[in-house]
Amino acid sequence: MEDNRSKILSEVRGMVPALSGKMNGEPLVYLDNAATTQKPSQVLDFLSDAMVHSNANVHRSMYELSDRSTSLYEVAREKVRSFINAPGRENIIFTSGTTASINLVADTFCRRLKAGDEILIEGDSHHSNIVPWQLAAERNGAVVRVIPTDVMLGKGRSGRVAFEELDSMLSDRVKILALTHISNITGLVNPVGEIISKAHARGIPVLVDGAQGIVHEKVDVQAMDCDFYAFSAHKIYGATGVGILYGKTGMLESLPPYMGGGDMVETVTYQKTTYAQLPLRFEAGTPNFTGAASLSPALKFAEDLREGEVGKVLKDEEGRIISFMTEALSSDPDIEVYGTGENKAPIFTFNIKGVNAGDLAQLLDKMGVAVRSGLMCAEPLINSFGANSALRASFAPYNTLEEAQTFVKCLNRAKNMLL
Amino acid sequence: MTIKEIEQQIVEEFSIFDNWMDKYQYIIDLGKSMPVIDEAGKKDENLIKGCQSRVWLDCREEDGKLYFSADSDAIITKGIISLLIRVYDGHTPQEIIDSEIDFIDTIGLRQNLSPTRANGLVSMLKQIKLYALAFKEKDEEKAAAGDNGKYSIEEVQKNVIRALKQVFDPEIPVNVYDLGLIYEVKVGEDRSVFIKMTMTSPTCPMADDVVNDVNNAVSDAPGVKSVQIELTFEPEWDESRMSEEARLELGLM
Repeated sequence: MEDNRSKILSEVRGMVPALSGKMNGEPLVYLDNAATTQKPSQVLDFLSDAMVHSNANVHRSMYELSDRSTSLYEVAREKVRSFINAPGRENIIFTSGTTASINLVADTFCRRLKAGDEILIEGDSHHSNIVPWQLAAERNGAVVRVIPTDVMLGKGRSGRVAFEELDSMLSDRVKILALTHISNITGLVNPVGEIISKAHARGIPVLVDGAQGIVHEKVDVQAMDCDFYAFSAHKIYGATGVGILYGKTGMLESLPPYMGGGDMVETVTYQKTTYAQLPLRFEAGTPNFTGAASLSPALKFAEDLREGEVGKVLKDEEGRIISFMTEALSSDPDIEVYGTGENKAPIFTFNIKGVNAGDLAQLLDKMGVAVRSGLMCAEPLINSFGANSALRASFAPYNTLEEAQTFVKCLNRAKNMLL
Repeated sequence: MTIKEIEQQIVEEFSIFDNWMDKYQYIIDLGKSMPVIDEAGKKDENLIKGCQSRVWLDCREEDGKLYFSADSDAIITKGIISLLIRVYDGHTPQEIIDSEIDFIDTIGLRQNLSPTRANGLVSMLKQIKLYALAFKEKDEEKAAAGDNGKYSIEEVQKNVIRALKQVFDPEIPVNVYDLGLIYEVKVGEDRSVFIKMTMTSPTCPMADDVVNDVNNAVSDAPGVKSVQIELTFEPEWDESRMSEEARLELGLM
């Protein structure tokens, strides 16, 4: 049993070269996966191979190289489609990241809003699911309202979004709901399916920020019934600079074009331009086609980590990491964890009383442990806990219990130095 | 000790430690032992921009030398500032401006900080030099104003007028100021005084005496560095230039 565990873990880790690297002379313990993940060899080899053998612009030329490139790009689109169980290729739009995906929807969808209309967002939102809505709302006098967390309501310290408030907030003025699948701070999994049913009962469409959700949950967009789902390739082992926007066909068709340029048009004259069919209508200009194509091996890797014996071992490992971290952090009376309770992904954000998070991160760096400190792009949420910075350790399926133990040991050493 | 010598001392201290955890421990201990700055010193204007953690830096001058106090909510940052303060404390603004410190690189501090903190360090150094520049300018102004720098220009102006009211016209029992003989009193940045005045008549035989009296009285006025008097008859003096008191005194009202 233990033999099997270590065998599978070392096999998985062996596929990701960065994990056996060093930082400041110490073996790397990479716990900043909520920011970005390390890449498996399959992705690295694919990228270099694609650059050598299939580098030509997509959807444009007649020669074989371009065909190969276009094919890799469209195969990746199909891979994404099947990974999230979208109905068709027209539902998968490549963007430059989760942020770009949300901006696309916020900008185009909100053009139909009037003064006094409302956009609902969550109290645990990442800046990229706050600011695009504020920008869009400003244009026509719409209002962004926040579904608060228990902390914001003064009713608790868990950091869970108080969705019971939603019933009183949903009204005819609400035109769209922007949810967070899993918070990048608290790691808490939001009951998006339930909320979506409630919103749909009132005819309100829902966007889900899946930047973290796509990594830790099995996402089936049809079962979830969301209208939009946004995520990034680089957080799920793919290349940086590539994002995905899933949208229901009817919803995407109802949106006006976003960026104008090549590839998004059907015919162009100086008098009138007609636009391409979905999904190309929203892919103006040369996309990051090599990066997008890397989603094929990246999502294959993600699937491999979820399936069969490997999937079982990694799921068990994640459970052990969560129990160990929860126990270790909550047993220290000086530590407050931001995000507690059931249904939590292995993302741990916290502060040690009297110790600056930046100081901790600086010392952990010297011990080979990579973690984030600061506001993690969620200033309102961090502030709601009465803090202006925090430390975050976020795990991926390739992390081990031993790494969690090393982290806690190093954390205690840093704490003792600083206190 | 000169700035260079203090730097050398710090470099020697750090050379004892052979790994960065020990160096950090030393920096942390420096941060902990740094005197705390009171809440009043944590003014927003003392906050250094460009630091990820909040850093306050204050500066005062004593006998021509600068002394710094600082605080931060991050202890490593505080330890680093304490090193900077140790290097710069008790030096003149000019010495600080001229200094090119390199101990931060020599002990490897800059390379061993996260990029955001390394930027913060640059911001701190910049702020220290800005303080030095500001105090240097202030000092130069004071020097230009001589010992009389303690009087403001307005105070000197008042003192000059008070002195002018003590000088009387030899023929009319009214002081030269209320008589309206003084056309202009100008006090310069350096507290030098310029006076433009006239006489009741171009043929006044006592003109030289009056100018002398004015010169002596104004020279003795507190805060005055030097006096320059210009005698003019353009425009010509007439009775309308007298103050109400003067006219009352002379029974003209």
